[in-house]
Amino acid sequence: MTFRSKLFVNFMLALLLSVALVTAGVTVATRRAFDELNRQHTDALVEQFQREFDRRGHDVLHRVQGIAEAEPTVRMAIDLSRPNADISVYVNDAHGVAQSHQLDFLDFVGTDGSIISSAEWSARFGYKMEWVTQKEDWASRGSFLMRLDTQEGPALALLAVAAVRVGDKDLYVVGGERLGKEFLASLVLPENMRALLYLNLDPAFQPVNLIDSAGSVAEAERFEPIIERERAHPSALTEKINWTFDAASAEIFHAIPKLGRQNELLGVLLIGNSQRTVVTLERHILWLAIGVAAIGILFGLFLSWWAAARVTLPVRRLAAGAREVSDGNWNTRVAVRGTDEIGQLAQSFNRMTQELVDQRERLIQAERVAAWREVARRLAHELKNPLFPLQTTVENLQRASTQNPDQFEEVFRESTGILLAEIENLKIIVGRFSDFAKMPQPELGPVDLNDIVRNVVKLFEAQFCAVGRPPITPELHLGENLPTIQADTTLLHRAIENLILNAMDAMPAGGILMMRTAQNNGNVDFEISDTGVGLTREEADRIFTPYYTTKQHGTGLGLAIVQAIVADHNGRITVESEMGVGTAFHLELPVKPPHHPNQTTPVVVAQEVEKKEEA
Amino acid sequence: MKLRLCLYLAAISAVLVAAAPSHTAKRPRYGGTLQVEIGATVTSLDPAVAAANPEEAGAKAELDALLYDRRGEDGTFAGVAGSGAFRVSEWEAGKRAVLTANEDYREGRPFVDSVEIQMGRSAHDRVLDLELKKTDFAQIPAEQARPAADHGVRVSTSQPNELLALVFLRGGPGIEAARVREAIARCIDRAAIVNFILQKEGEPAGGLLPQWSSGTAFLFSTETSARSAKEIRSQISASPKLVLGYDSADRLEQSVAERIAVNAKEAGISLTSRGISSPGNKPAHGTDIRPGEAVHVDARLVRLRMLSPLPRVSLTAFIETLGPMAGIVDSPLPQSASPEDVYYCERSIINSGLIVPIVWMPQVYGISARVRDWKQPAASETWPLAGVWLDSSDAH
Repeated sequence: MTFRSKLFVNFMLALLLSVALVTAGVTVATRRAFDELNRQHTDALVEQFQREFDRRGHDVLHRVQGIAEAEPTVRMAIDLSRPNADISVYVNDAHGVAQSHQLDFLDFVGTDGSIISSAEWSARFGYKMEWVTQKEDWASRGSFLMRLDTQEGPALALLAVAAVRVGDKDLYVVGGERLGKEFLASLVLPENMRALLYLNLDPAFQPVNLIDSAGSVAEAERFEPIIERERAHPSALTEKINWTFDAASAEIFHAIPKLGRQNELLGVLLIGNSQRTVVTLERHILWLAIGVAAIGILFGLFLSWWAAARVTLPVRRLAAGAREVSDGNWNTRVAVRGTDEIGQLAQSFNRMTQELVDQRERLIQAERVAAWREVARRLAHELKNPLFPLQTTVENLQRASTQNPDQFEEVFRESTGILLAEIENLKIIVGRFSDFAKMPQPELGPVDLNDIVRNVVKLFEAQFCAVGRPPITPELHLGENLPTIQADTTLLHRAIENLILNAMDAMPAGGILMMRTAQNNGNVDFEISDTGVGLTREEADRIFTPYYTTKQHGTGLGLAIVQAIVADHNGRITVESEMGVGTAFHLELPVKPPHHPNQTTPVVVAQEVEKKEEA
Repeated sequence: MKLRLCLYLAAISAVLVAAAPSHTAKRPRYGGTLQVEIGATVTSLDPAVAAANPEEAGAKAELDALLYDRRGEDGTFAGVAGSGAFRVSEWEAGKRAVLTANEDYREGRPFVDSVEIQMGRSAHDRVLDLELKKTDFAQIPAEQARPAADHGVRVSTSQPNELLALVFLRGGPGIEAARVREAIARCIDRAAIVNFILQKEGEPAGGLLPQWSSGTAFLFSTETSARSAKEIRSQISASPKLVLGYDSADRLEQSVAERIAVNAKEAGISLTSRGISSPGNKPAHGTDIRPGEAVHVDARLVRLRMLSPLPRVSLTAFIETLGPMAGIVDSPLPQSASPEDVYYCERSIINSGLIVPIVWMPQVYGISARVRDWKQPAASETWPLAGVWLDSSDAH
């Protein structure tokens, strides 16, 4: 992964993290705000319902008091106060009065608690309603909840009691409304809210006792925990019920216990607030946040890419420059402006490459001087050998002419022969130096390396078995299906000759000369190894240096010429040697020598990188 | 002096004549049409055609009393149709009938020329028509007698001749348990039913026959004992939940059934009342009866009208009606059955606990002001319309 990619990924991660944090923060804050708003809204509605409930209680009280104060009721009370009053004539009165006053329950009760007339259960006349006769100020009591027995079973009623006193006898008017689905239906509730009522009429939770304005409630058993908690400890509580896995189906229920006169739990009012609107709104906001985040991420993606490219451009220029330097182009320069760390790094890089170039120049100069010194030394060494016989011969001629004129002719003939021979040696030495200086450029053509190896070995067969010297045994391991390579046959022939000559020199006591060819990753390998005396490490390091030789009479140009030929073929030569074991030279020759790229200037390299970036 | 005395006597005589009640001064007159409304729908006057329900049977008996001049040996009217005070001149089955005066009636021609009978009129309409003077004579429910009288309607009641009884139906779950039946029979507050529901028009019934007919009704207890009912209930391990059916078109039966349910509830017995439709009756408003709905009941209220003043005949008729319902298999009383035989038969049925008499109810008639010389019918009499005449000065 490139530095730019890493930087881009880091930018993106930071951006994603930031967007996620912001989105989560907005979502949480929104949810809290909605929850708070929802709570306030529900509290207000619960309070409104409580007021409505109280108002209904007052209304019931007023209607019951109105019945008690009405003329027929007063007349009834007067009649009933008489001794031996006939109460049977009033047995059906409650029904009509209840209807006219829109009451679900209405009972006229005598001073002893006997029911004179009952609207909700007309057949109960004569039975006692003793709780009415208890000492209580009904006028100040107001309305209250009570469990009543009806013909259909127990029911919950919002009751009020009014007493009409005539003499020492009371006529009680007990009236009220049934707390049932009609009562719930009469409540005005906003949309998304509903009111449920649990009638606590049985010892244990009964789903059928939970009603709403339409009657029974579906999945009423889900309310059992709330109701049981209310039954255990009557107090206002809030509970959330998730009807399905969809959060929008949830409802928050506020349970309000409704107590009777003795503070017994008679009913539980449940105000349900659907979360569908809130959840839908929250989802809408969430999706909006996600959309904005997505747009932000896309924009951030583009910005990150651009910023990463801009930030990493000097670095990539530096990297390109470094690659150029590693490829040997020490003149590379990086065009980076600015004074920041990258700019300072680029300046340091440029100084470094400049320093490298300078040092290389100095090294070249030093090596050049050293080479010339070596050449001079070799020349002096090579020329000194023939010069000494020449000098001696000339001095013999001078001495013979002065001291032994009679022998001069004989000396002269011998001396001139020696002089000519030494001069010939000098010419040979000069010719070798001349040949090295005039190394030709290779003329490439299809070459079978195996053929060249076989031809060269054939030339040396006689020398391998020459009389008077230990034999050398050549071993050829030539690879099959070796591809032809683009090379100069003559030069390769000469290089292999030099290597064989070098190996023969290394094996004065004879040995095995092994040659091997093989194909290796688009190259053709040639290896030649001997079982000679071997080289020291220092000798191995300098073995390809021109005019360096370990032999008494060598020119030090043989292996230098080999290296030059291999280099001209874009090949590579290495040497491995071990003292007493032998030496092996390894040549790698490309099947197709690559085309030499044009040499470019450092500025051009930097500009090319920049152009690629701009593209 | 004599002249002055004569003048005084003449003046006193004139004052006395003027002060005398006007109606007593009027003589009966012939003519006019007596308007009658009844609740039943009589589909046929043929004796061979059985009545569809007790109400029709009762109405048919009332009409028979006008059309026949004497009763048979069984106490019912029989003989030649038209031998009575009136003859049928117009007949629309189930709707309307016009009876004209029989000139050859054995006891003399009735005063009114004709009697026009409207059938199928509801109790509410009958009472309303009486108050509005749209009819001259109508039967009204016993429980509405007092309110009707309070609204100015002349009310006349007969001897109690209609029995309201609770019958435990054959095959009802658990009702074979005599203890449960006994508990229910004991907890019924008959006096409250008579005083409050019937508005004191009737009397508690302990037996199947009224006192005026059998003379032995006083031997059957009508006492209420909620305490003993509770004791019996406590001796029953598991009381079944019973359903008491009543005619959904009959408000009186509904009120009585609901009261019995309250009495039973107080005694700890689960008994609920439920309206059921009866043949020929339309469900009253407010009942929960739906067409085609099969209602299972363990017991039901039954009204039985005495068609004959003879106790043996009435008891036999009752047994024929109630026996199949309650599963009572009893041999019919022979014609030679003595009053003691009738009593023991009645006692046997009561002791079975399958039939619980509740109240005896009279027939209550509303009469308009122009109907004169109305005499309260005797115990064995029906409509005494042959002797009434219409006062034209108090026309509709």
